[in-house]
Amino acid sequence: MKKFFFFYIFFGVSVVVSQNKQLLYNWDVTPQALMLNPGSVVASQYHIGVPFLSQIHLNAGSSGVSAFDVFADDGVDINTKIRNTIFKLSARDFFTATQQLDVLNFGWLSKGFDPIYFSGGIYQELDFIAYFPKDFAILAWEGNRDYIGKPFDFSDLSARADLLTVYHFGANKQLSSKLTAGVRIKLYSSMVGLESTSNKGAFTTSQREGSNNVYEHTVVDLDLEVRTSGFLSLDGLDQSQVSRILLGRALLGGNLGLGFDAGMTYQFDSQLSLTASVLDIGAIFHSSDTEVYRASGDYTLDGLQLIFPELALGGSTIPYYDNLEDEIEREIPVDTLNIGYTQLRPTKINAALHYDFGPRVGDKDSCDCRSRATKEERVSQAGVQYYTIFRPRGPQLAGTLYYRRKFGNSLSVKTTYTVDRYSAKNIGAAMSLNLGNVNFFVAADNLLDLSNIAKANSVSLQLGFNFIVDQQ
Amino acid sequence: MLVKKAKLFISLFSLMFFLSCFEGTDFEQANDVLLTPEIELDLIYFNIEASQFYNPSTSTEILVLKDTTDLDFLGGRDINNILKKADFLFQFTNSIPREFDVSFDFLNTQNQSKYFIQSNIVSGNQTNPVVTTFLEEIDEQEITDLTSANKVVISVAIASSSQNLTGVLNLQSKTTYYLEIDQ
Repeated sequence: MKKFFFFYIFFGVSVVVSQNKQLLYNWDVTPQALMLNPGSVVASQYHIGVPFLSQIHLNAGSSGVSAFDVFADDGVDINTKIRNTIFKLSARDFFTATQQLDVLNFGWLSKGFDPIYFSGGIYQELDFIAYFPKDFAILAWEGNRDYIGKPFDFSDLSARADLLTVYHFGANKQLSSKLTAGVRIKLYSSMVGLESTSNKGAFTTSQREGSNNVYEHTVVDLDLEVRTSGFLSLDGLDQSQVSRILLGRALLGGNLGLGFDAGMTYQFDSQLSLTASVLDIGAIFHSSDTEVYRASGDYTLDGLQLIFPELALGGSTIPYYDNLEDEIEREIPVDTLNIGYTQLRPTKINAALHYDFGPRVGDKDSCDCRSRATKEERVSQAGVQYYTIFRPRGPQLAGTLYYRRKFGNSLSVKTTYTVDRYSAKNIGAAMSLNLGNVNFFVAADNLLDLSNIAKANSVSLQLGFNFIVDQQ
Repeated sequence: MLVKKAKLFISLFSLMFFLSCFEGTDFEQANDVLLTPEIELDLIYFNIEASQFYNPSTSTEILVLKDTTDLDFLGGRDINNILKKADFLFQFTNSIPREFDVSFDFLNTQNQSKYFIQSNIVSGNQTNPVVTTFLEEIDEQEITDLTSANKVVISVAIASSSQNLTGVLNLQSKTTYYLEIDQ
């Protein structure tokens, strides 16, 4: 058997909304497919990625609003458009950004009686999600004047951001002619973390018969919490000191966590297969350098009550305003605590059904390097993919129909149609071309909006440049 | 064959880039973003008993009652920059059979008067309390005076009083703040 050395460079810009990588899932062009399913059928005998260049991945997006909605050059006042957008969005709409940088990625097939494909590596990840705080956006934009009696719900405030490094090591094994399975253990090293996801309570300005003043401004059942990790010790430091500390944390010097991925491929027959994976089941245990802010209580504000006391000449007046501030602080105390907390990772689930058809791929004289599994690869594959990611307000789902076609061993094309919270008309396409040792790879999402990116709720573009050395 | 495929690949790849652009957008509009919240907030309230206008121990009338409170949120450059208009609504309910002269004197830290509001309150009685409402609208020119104050002195003056005077003078008040916040 020929030795296959997969040496790849991946660079460029990729803008992908959500962490869903439907174009890369089960598309055996890059070793990244193994990251999305540790139980996928592995193509290579071994692979190594160029440090820091093997995968650069940037995501940004929002559900429910596009840049065009707000910035269209249509003569309408931008403030009118922002107002319309605020009322169009719901508190379940969200803004996300994800960035990943593969620092190291490698894998090798341990041969022998019982071959196992081991893989490992390090990647850095920034993950951010903020739900649209609709009630407070209305309050900031319009004030409370036209909303007397309306409760402004603090549970609308929900956001989370993590900057971390992930060290991972996994094993992939073909268990039978039909089943391939894999697991990966992950060690998370947090650089900084911030979350505020379980807030509750409401603020209402109301009018009531028999009240002391014109209105009653009430805060009911307030319970706010903001958890931070890693920020306290950075306070007041200059840029170079911050960089040095963050680098130390990236190298397992931060708060640590543990997680795992698992996945499988089941080949029903030579044409039909099922794949499934679960990624990032785990948590980060923030125990040091944490600061947790809590505010809770109930309070009704009805202004300042003057009592016109009899004052001796030169006597001091009653400090009504200071008393009011003290009373608010007493009724709604804000505590700053240095306590540890556990933060669950956003778990993702992929599942898909694949059907191979058409003539068989390839030149019989060349190595069929993807033949560790028993199935013979055919030029066409179609299927349906399911993806979900568990976010603070529950799972976000996506469904994908796809078709993949191989043109010999050099060109592979995959097209996807995805329905998710961002769009119901998301068409994507990916192409991969091998020219000798060099592999070009491009994947784009939301092609229908490509003619005007501003109109897209989400835009996805991935470029790849893989250098493959085929050792013989 | 391979070259053909490569050409196809590069053509499609390039096409995608040439097709993609931000069309019909003007990001300069961000400079025009202006938040204009209108905020309703209670101000002060009181209930003055008629008996407070008479000192039984000295058998003398008390013709003026005064009280002072800080309004720290009013003073300061921050509020001055964003506050464009303020409407003060005062609603008196009078069950004392006397008219009143009520004034609100907004003072700065040096106790200089920066804004002055005065109103006459119609007399009432305990079976038919009389409501007197007045609205003081402070426009953009006068806002600077208001926001240079950080406390208000409230004076309630009665023409005459007696030991037998009964009833209550009640005040409820609120302010509507019209803010304009740009970048």
